[in-house]
Amino acid sequence: MEQEAQLVVRCLGGEESAWEELLQAHARKIYNLCYRFTGRASEAEDLTQEVFIKVFQMLTTYDAVQGAFSTWLNRVARNHLVDHYRRTHKDRLTSSLEEQTGGLEDKPSADEHPIARLESQERHEVLQSALNRLSPDMREAVVLRDFQDLDYDEIAEVLGVPEGTVKSRINRGRLELARVIKRMEGVKGGTGPGL
Amino acid sequence: MTHLELENLIGEYVEGQLPAVRRAELETHLAGCADCQFMADDVRRAFELCHAAEPLEPPPWLVPKILRATLGERVPSLRQRLADWFRPVLQPRVAYGIAMAVFSLSMIMNVAGINLRQVRRGDLNPATWVGQANRNGHLLLGRVEKYCYDLKVVYEFQSRLQRLRAQPTETPRPVAPAGGSTYGAPADEGLLASAGNLNAPVLAGLYAQAAGWKRSARSTNP
Repeated sequence: MEQEAQLVVRCLGGEESAWEELLQAHARKIYNLCYRFTGRASEAEDLTQEVFIKVFQMLTTYDAVQGAFSTWLNRVARNHLVDHYRRTHKDRLTSSLEEQTGGLEDKPSADEHPIARLESQERHEVLQSALNRLSPDMREAVVLRDFQDLDYDEIAEVLGVPEGTVKSRINRGRLELARVIKRMEGVKGGTGPGL
Repeated sequence: MTHLELENLIGEYVEGQLPAVRRAELETHLAGCADCQFMADDVRRAFELCHAAEPLEPPPWLVPKILRATLGERVPSLRQRLADWFRPVLQPRVAYGIAMAVFSLSMIMNVAGINLRQVRRGDLNPATWVGQANRNGHLLLGRVEKYCYDLKVVYEFQSRLQRLRAQPTETPRPVAPAGGSTYGAPADEGLLASAGNLNAPVLAGLYAQAAGWKRSARSTNP
């Protein structure tokens, strides 16, 4: 935590390598957050870039006393994702499920058996499709908790809501996710991914 | 515990974050309510599916792209340029190929007798390489020959020949059949003849050495 604060100070001092280090350390997490939120690889790339440009411009507003850099970064990313969602909501309603899940970019492992890879791909598609059907409030809570492994208090800080609300959203999100997954497996005629 | 209460706590339950008392109440309810049991199973499966999902790797160009967007185009340092230049060379296949080529070249140069520390203009002439290779080939052959003669079995064989030569030939020999065939003659006859071609001082030395072995063998096996 202190290390990151020092990196930010070095970065503000004009040290380009410090910015590169920060970027390398957090790009993956932010990309995953964006991907889980949008469900599209190309969109996640663009959003990750936009988030980091915003972070670069707003870096002077970060106060290490207020909290960890990663929490601040998540908050910036989350706000940007919500803005993006509002902007593109209408387009999203008209987009097809295939398009949403078409950009899955799980790297096929050379060691992985083709059938296992196919099953993994199918699980991934079902999960992402189910996530896409959650409301933004529930989705962001579930993504931050179950994919980004943030604590409840960190999520509360990122979302700017009380911890009780976070717990409630996560709970409702998980229930909804379970219902959607079950429905999707039913639609596929019981050929859903085995867990 | 009611159905609604259970529904509100099911997320924390599958995560294992429910206090023991509440968990016991919830499990009691689950034991008697099939619908809630199904729901709990579904939520657990969804939870496990989320946690089993592997983090995705961003494309490799993303970070450089963001760096360009934030810091602008940067002039690469000398170190970076060198690293960029050597990167393809350091690929395993290319490195292996280069290593094999160097190894083959060093083998050829070794056979051709070229000393890299003292390379002369004449060493660059292919005729010199052939001549050197020929010379080295003969030297190698000579070494192999010497090695064979140095073998103990050869010593013994030669010492036996020497002893046979030294013995007086008193026993009557069968007459060799007409036509010059050596069939029926003592087995060592031909060998004795060929032993005559050996260098006398060398044979004398070999004989002395073989005699020494014989003495030592007698002393150890009374």
